[in-house]
Amino acid sequence: MTATPGFLDVRDVRKAYGAIKAVDGVSFSVGPGEIVGVIGPNGSGKTTLFNSILGQIRPTSGSVELCGEDITGMSPLELARRGVGRTFQTLQVFGGLSVRDNLIAAAQEFKGTLPGRLFAKPDAGLGHHADEMIELFRLKHVAHLPAGRLSYGQQKLIDIAMAFMPAPRLVLLDEPCAGVNPSLVDQLRELLVQLNRTQGGSFVVIEHNMDFIMKLCPHVICMVEGKVLAEGKPAAVQANPAVLEAYLGN
Amino acid sequence: MSAGLRRTVLLVAGLAALVAVAAFAKRSEVYLLTLTLVYLMATFGLNLTVGYAGQMSLGQAAFFGIGAYVAAIALKAGIPFLAVLPIAGIACFVVGLALGFPALRVQHHYLAFATLGFNVLVFLVMRNEEKLTGGTFGISSIPRPTILGVSFEGHLAYFYFTLAGLVALAAALWWLLRSPWGRAFAALRDNPIRAESLGVNITAYTLLAFAIGAACAGVGGVYYASLVEFIEPGPFHFSTSLMMLLAVIVGGSGRFFGPVVGTIVIILLPEVLRSSSIESLKFMQKWYLVFFGLAVVALMIWLPGGILSIADRFRKREAPR
Repeated sequence: MTATPGFLDVRDVRKAYGAIKAVDGVSFSVGPGEIVGVIGPNGSGKTTLFNSILGQIRPTSGSVELCGEDITGMSPLELARRGVGRTFQTLQVFGGLSVRDNLIAAAQEFKGTLPGRLFAKPDAGLGHHADEMIELFRLKHVAHLPAGRLSYGQQKLIDIAMAFMPAPRLVLLDEPCAGVNPSLVDQLRELLVQLNRTQGGSFVVIEHNMDFIMKLCPHVICMVEGKVLAEGKPAAVQANPAVLEAYLGN
Repeated sequence: MSAGLRRTVLLVAGLAALVAVAAFAKRSEVYLLTLTLVYLMATFGLNLTVGYAGQMSLGQAAFFGIGAYVAAIALKAGIPFLAVLPIAGIACFVVGLALGFPALRVQHHYLAFATLGFNVLVFLVMRNEEKLTGGTFGISSIPRPTILGVSFEGHLAYFYFTLAGLVALAAALWWLLRSPWGRAFAALRDNPIRAESLGVNITAYTLLAFAIGAACAGVGGVYYASLVEFIEPGPFHFSTSLMMLLAVIVGGSGRFFGPVVGTIVIILLPEVLRSSSIESLKFMQKWYLVFFGLAVVALMIWLPGGILSIADRFRKREAPR
């Protein structure tokens, strides 16, 4: 955790469902262009924390600030307009649209006004950018096919590519490696590093694949039972006895 | 020949065939064809709401009726047909916006019943507000248009006039669906939560989907009023909404020409079978509803994507992995 105000500041966020404290006073900061990993066993509150930050659910208490602006409880639409993107734990593509249209759909709403888009070019001027992303994610051979007809791994890549289409300032990735062929995991990590370098956004990544997160994230937070158990450099967190116990038990 | 060009050639050939067939058809057959075109305007709009934007609606006949009553009252008051069209379209657009609000809270069968309730309410207004609508006696002597001195009073002239209107409406919808709006509607249909996280204003697009679909039905209602020259609440009962929805689904929901096929099958074909003078089809006059019902059941079981999904069934092209 950085002590000074960062790009994203999560302060004492709590989310309770009755007596169950899903997130219990979590605080952390993410600097501009920083990649932060969030690990923890199943049910440790990682996704609830994400959903609290991203307006899918309203936290019981605490605050979330983006560049000093209080964004606590803002709707996903308002957050998207502020340059916050995300991926979900489960696949979330537009199955009836082609891969190329999925990518264009992911960014077109940030171009011009709603009435103006009615009179815009069919590709909203994003065709070239979509083709670049298709090339980057090696999806050219399926670009014209409906996304819903592709394999899980291909849809996962589309899902991630969509989050980066509008070049967001902050992206929260929820288990990007889940269901992805192990041979693609390294490729995915390289893609994220490249996007971080070219687009300059900050990433927060939830992941169970330790190798992936340790190589990708210079800063890692470990959550257990809704609380931050440990944080710091990946090697230090990985070696922390409390973290080992949380994952492996006594 | 590219796929796009092939489609254009087919479309032009189909329209030319329709023009030619109408020229040699009997008066009753031309009436039936015109009626099909009029219903097609409403089902094109419903396809946008249901097929492209994924919002269930069982209230399309109400908008069809609102358009028809606005036209009947306005045309009888001497307002020109070309002015009545936008008036009815805008009236239905505004009411459609209002009907879109329940869709922001409920979906699927809940939304279906909310829109059905709306249709029942509109039907009751048409039946009971006698001063405005004529109640069960309806409104008669609705004039057909005369534009720039050209009369469309005759049955064939009115058919061509309606066909031109339908082509203009379809072209406008084609253009809209190819614009970024069309993609946003599809995103709303496929995954509204993801769409919102990508900046798609799902409130605005949901309301627009209802409003535009309603406006199309309103325009269809204007042509309908002039076609039948007498309107009463019966044709705007919610059973007509069910029939329109069936036409969209049978043809191929979310496919541009789905409503064309669906409206032919659901509206034109039963009438043709019922009134057929061909000897071998005579038995259909008694049995057509039975065959029609069985065909719809079979279609929904084996082709839930509608008749136009047959091509996809046979294509079975495996996506590269």
